[in-house]
Amino acid sequence: MQCQEFREIADSYLGNELIVETNHAIISHLEYCAECRRELTARRELRARLRQAFLNASENQMRPEFTERLNTQLHARALGKRDTRAATFGTSRSSIRLGRKASLALAACLLLAMAIGFVAVRQRDSSVTSRESIETELAQSAVSDHRDCAVHFRLAEKPIDLEAAGRKYDPVYINLTKAVLMDQGGAMADAEFVEAHSCVLGGRRFAHIVFNYHGRLVSFLVTDSGDPNGTNGGGSSAIAQPQVNACSQFDGYQVSCFQTVRHAVFVVSDLSESENLALARALAPSVYAHITRTERAA
Amino acid sequence: MFGSVSTRESLTESETRWAGFEAEAMPHVPSLFRIAMWLTRNQADAEDLVQETLTEGLGSFHRFAHGTNCRAWLTSIMYHRQSKKKRASTRLHLVSDAEEFIAETVAFEPPTPQNVTDEEVLHALEHLPRAFQEVVVLADVEELSYKEIAAALDIPVGTVMSRISRGRKMLRAELASYAQAHGFGRAG
Repeated sequence: MQCQEFREIADSYLGNELIVETNHAIISHLEYCAECRRELTARRELRARLRQAFLNASENQMRPEFTERLNTQLHARALGKRDTRAATFGTSRSSIRLGRKASLALAACLLLAMAIGFVAVRQRDSSVTSRESIETELAQSAVSDHRDCAVHFRLAEKPIDLEAAGRKYDPVYINLTKAVLMDQGGAMADAEFVEAHSCVLGGRRFAHIVFNYHGRLVSFLVTDSGDPNGTNGGGSSAIAQPQVNACSQFDGYQVSCFQTVRHAVFVVSDLSESENLALARALAPSVYAHITRTERAA
Repeated sequence: MFGSVSTRESLTESETRWAGFEAEAMPHVPSLFRIAMWLTRNQADAEDLVQETLTEGLGSFHRFAHGTNCRAWLTSIMYHRQSKKKRASTRLHLVSDAEEFIAETVAFEPPTPQNVTDEEVLHALEHLPRAFQEVVVLADVEELSYKEIAAALDIPVGTVMSRISRGRKMLRAELASYAQAHGFGRAG
């Protein structure tokens, strides 16, 4: 066996996915090849580190009360019993005595009301949490794109022309550069345009306009927020202007953002929070008008 | 009288089913929760997903082939449920071709830095395209076989193999660049 061949199947060897004969061939090769032994050790260590990191992560630990509730609910369901804590499993039992009918009916009504209330609160909380989670994820993606594309230029996939991406993927990208670079009441006077393109990071496509501002690289990013129902902050047609916020800071980069019905817009840089926010607010009106106009037309 | 005999039999049958499910499926709840957390990134959603998965698993436990890997079977149910949810709630899609291209460009295999923390390892994993993350997590963390991963994700075994290999390579590159940027890390 040659080293190249070993490297190609080393992962399968570690996963015990190979037949006995191939395993023997690998073991024979490893006996005389120190370089491949080191390589195998490195791969084994990486697997172990990853597994350890996952198992140790505090967020991956279950709450004891969840484990207990889950067990009780599933047990009750398996036995066809009503679980009052779950309020969603089980069916009415026929062994209710006549003398207790009225009080049980009242109790059932109360339980139902509590269950409906609980579900409503849970859904609302879940919806808010879910939306916040999506916003955070989007902002993190925007920072990653700024860092990997604008700053380090280490995106492996070659970015494509923004106008071409607009025709192929999202019409909002068409003429977006003009909307960003148009006179913003002097706000862009100090900005020097670097480039505009569409790039993909982590499976998410962005319109990405890069410029220099006071000597710092600034990314202006637009991405589909994946909200088909238009429940984003900019969803109401009554809102004529976007609400621009300094939404977060990741890895030392400031993120200011606003949303339209279907898109999330980010300004990412390592400027100060106030400078980044001011820049985003200056750019917002024309960009918001452009995006909402295109969204309505689509 | 007949009714009570029938109820007793039914109860015994239910108890037997629960005992089987409890023995086979319940030990895998921590593993399912980790996968659910990774899929949803949210504790409440992860708990919901685990509960839905196990409820569905309990309902179709008669279809589980005893002697096979119950964790892989439950993982498969979980992925299918999550896919349904995602399809219903988002128009986003992964750009597979692009991701494959990204993976292809990682041409070298740098040594694994030694002094990175757990958080940094997870952070590096986050930088991988989603399709590569999931196979690496299922193979390296949950220790599912290629065949089990292929069944859970509904992709060919060959794709699983290539994604695992490329995913690990990208992870090493990511960790190496992270270590280099922070000025630490021993070449392993």
